[in-house]
Amino acid sequence: MATKRKLIKERVPTPEVPVEERVKSFVEVNLGYEFASAVKEAERCIQCPPEYAPCIKGCPVHINIPGFIGKLVEYRDEPEKAVKEALRIIWGDNTLPAITGRVCPQEDQCEAPCVMGKVGDPINIGKLERFVADYARKHGIEDELLEEMRPPVCGKGKVAVVGAGPAGLTCAGELAKLGYDVTIFEALHKPGGVLAYGIPEFRLPKEILKKELDKLRKLGVEIRLDHVVGRTVTIGELLEEYDAVFIGTGAGTPKLLNIPGILLGRIYSANEFLTRVNLMKAYEFPEYDTPIAIGKRTIVIGAGNTAMDAARSALRLGSEVTIAYRRGREDMTARIEEIQHAEEEGVKFEFFLQPVEFIGDDDGKVKAVKFERMKPLEERDKRGKRKIVGTGEYVTLPADTVIIAIGLEPNRIIGESAGLKTNPDGTLVVDENLMTSIPGVFAGGDAIRGEATVILAMGDGKRAAKAICDYIAEKRKASA
Amino acid sequence: MGYKITKKENLSAIDFFMEVEAPHVARSWKPGQFVVLIVDEKGERVPMSVYYAEDGKVGMFIRRHGVTTFKLWYEKNVGDEILSVAGPLGKPIEVKYYGNVVFASDAVCAQAESYATLRAMKAAGNYTIAIQSFENRDNVYPEKFLAKPVADEHYLTTDDGSVGIKGHYLDVLKGLIEKDKVDIVFAGGKLGSLKKLAELTRPYGIPTIVTVRQIMVDGTGMCGSCRILYDGKIKFACRDGPMFDAHKVDWDDVIRRDARFSEQQALARERYLQKLRARGVI
Repeated sequence: MATKRKLIKERVPTPEVPVEERVKSFVEVNLGYEFASAVKEAERCIQCPPEYAPCIKGCPVHINIPGFIGKLVEYRDEPEKAVKEALRIIWGDNTLPAITGRVCPQEDQCEAPCVMGKVGDPINIGKLERFVADYARKHGIEDELLEEMRPPVCGKGKVAVVGAGPAGLTCAGELAKLGYDVTIFEALHKPGGVLAYGIPEFRLPKEILKKELDKLRKLGVEIRLDHVVGRTVTIGELLEEYDAVFIGTGAGTPKLLNIPGILLGRIYSANEFLTRVNLMKAYEFPEYDTPIAIGKRTIVIGAGNTAMDAARSALRLGSEVTIAYRRGREDMTARIEEIQHAEEEGVKFEFFLQPVEFIGDDDGKVKAVKFERMKPLEERDKRGKRKIVGTGEYVTLPADTVIIAIGLEPNRIIGESAGLKTNPDGTLVVDENLMTSIPGVFAGGDAIRGEATVILAMGDGKRAAKAICDYIAEKRKASA
Repeated sequence: MGYKITKKENLSAIDFFMEVEAPHVARSWKPGQFVVLIVDEKGERVPMSVYYAEDGKVGMFIRRHGVTTFKLWYEKNVGDEILSVAGPLGKPIEVKYYGNVVFASDAVCAQAESYATLRAMKAAGNYTIAIQSFENRDNVYPEKFLAKPVADEHYLTTDDGSVGIKGHYLDVLKGLIEKDKVDIVFAGGKLGSLKKLAELTRPYGIPTIVTVRQIMVDGTGMCGSCRILYDGKIKFACRDGPMFDAHKVDWDDVIRRDARFSEQQALARERYLQKLRARGVI
C-alpha cells in the first residue's frame, strides 16, 4: 500500500526579476520554474480523478490538468520524457500553453476550485503549464512532438481565418492538424492580435509568440498580413474561394469616455498607447520611428489587465503612475499577479473616482483630470460588483498623460461590410455551433463575446474548428 | 517578404512620386480610400493617399518631411522592397453624377486625391474642375503629374504668383461659386485651409467633402488616435472617414490634434538628417 503523502500547503515559489531592475526595462518579470522546482510543485497535486477534478471543470478549454501534472512526477528522472508527455496532454486541448500559462486569470478559473486551495495554496497550475511549454520549446521537444503530429496532406477543404489573434490562431492550428488547408488574413503587419499589440513584453515576451507562430507555419498554415477583411477582400469573396470562413477579429475598438476634453493631447486609449509601445516599440524611440509622448504624471483610468499593462508600461517609460478606478479595490478585474506586480513597482491606486472632465493647458494638452467621488451601495450588479453612486464631491488630480482603459467593443468594419447579423453592442450573432447569420461563416472570441479572455477566445477557436469540419463534411455529402 | 518599389520620380522641391507592387490593395481600392505603409522593421505605420491603384500597383505622392518619407526617398529605390502596405482603408467616396465637381488641393496627399477623385467623377459624367495650389514655383509638379487630364477645367495657383494664378484655391473657388458653377466641392490638404473652406462654402450650402488628415497608428479603427469631433460625436478618421462633411467637423480640435507629436517628430527628423549629413548624402 502506498504510504499517505504529507500535504504541502505552500506553493513552490517562482523567482522574479527584482523590482528596481525591472522598472527600468521591458524584460519578463516572472522567471518561471526550473525542472526540479516544477516537479516539487507538481508533487503537491493530490491527483483528483479526471471525472471529478475541479480544475478541469474550471478551465474554459478543459485541459486534463492532473494528467499533465502527473506526467512531471511520473517521469521525474527523465525530464525530457516528462515534459514531452505532459505537453502531449496539454496540446490535446490547448495548442498555445506558453501563452495561456502567462495570461490566463488562473485564480478565477482552474486554480479557484483546486482542492489544495481549501487547506493551503492551490496548485500553481498556470506556472506549471508555462513551464512545460517553455522547457519543451527550449529543448526541441516541441518540434519532436510537432513532427509526430504532422498532418497528412489530404485536401479535406480550404478554410479562411480572419484575424491572427488567439481565436484565429487556435482555430487555424486545430484545422491544420486535421488536414485542412488554412489561410489566415491579418490586418496588421504582424500576426498575434492582442498578443502582439496589447500584452507587453514584460508579461508575454514576443519571442514566445514568434515560436507559437512558427509552429503554425510548420503545420502548413499560411498567414497573409496587411489584409483588412471587409476592405481588402470581402467575406463574400472569401466564400467563393474557401469552403468556410472563421472570424476571430476580436474586440478591437476602444471605448472612450464621452466627457469634455477627450480630444486633448496626451490622452490615449490603452489600445493606442500599448500598440505604440508594444507593437511599434515606441519605448525604443527614436531608434524605432514610432513616437510616444508621455509626461511625468500619468493617470490610467480602469482596473483590468489592460489598465495594469498600460500603467506598468508608462512606469517603465519614466512616468509616475496612478490608476484611478470608479469602483473599489475588491472590484478590480485584473489578474491578482498583475495587480501585485503593479503595486510592487510603485503604481499608486485611487478608488471610487469617476472621471467627469479632462482639463487642458494652452497648448491643448491635458494637465488635470476632474473626478467625482463615488460610493458603493449594498446592491450588486449582474457581474456581482457593488453598484456605485456619485457623492457630488469632486476632486481634481494633476496629470500630463492619461490612458483610458475602460474596455473595448468589436470593430464594426467586418460585420457591416459583410452584412452579418450583429447584436446592439456590435458583437456578431452566432448559433450554438458558432455559425453566424451567413452559412459557412463562423465566429468566435471577442468578436462574439465583446470582451473576454485569451483562453475563452482559444476555446471558441477550437469549438469552431470542430463545427467547421462538420459543416464541410455535410456540405460535401450533400453535393456528392 | 515585402512590397517591391516599381517607380520613383521626383515631383518638386519637397514631394516625390512612388509606385509599389501591392496587388491585394490595387484590386479593391476605390477613390477616397488610403493605405498604411511601413518602410522597414523599425518603421512607423504611416497613412498615405493614393494617386492611382491599378494593375497590381499603387501610386502615391509623398512629401519628404519625416523619418519614414526621408527613408523612402534617400534609402529606397526602384527594385527595393518596403515592409508593409495595408489597405485599402477608410470608406470610399460616393462616385455618381453631381454636376459640376470641384477638387481643391494644396498639399501633397490632396494633389494625389485630386487626380484620383476627378478621374472617377469624370467617368461618372460630371463636369470636373481641379484647383491645385502650391506655395511657389519650386513646389509645383511636372505637367504630367497634375490633374489636368481628368479635369474639364484646371486652375493652378501659387502663393507668390511665380507660376499660374497668384493666390490660393480658396480665392479661385470663391470666384467659381460666385459664378454659380459649383455643385459639390471635394478637397484635401492643409487643415487650416480646409477650415477656411468650410466657412467659404457654408453660406452657399454647397456640399463640401474633405479629407480629415489625422495621426493614425493601425488605420483600422483599433486605437482611436485619429478621433475627431464630428457633428458633436466622436468619429475615427480612419474607419468612419477619412472624408467627412467639412461643415460638421470641429476644425480647431482637428488642427490641435495634428500637432500632438510635433516635438518627437522634430527630434526624429533632426536625428535622421544628421545621419544623412554625416554620410554626406545631403
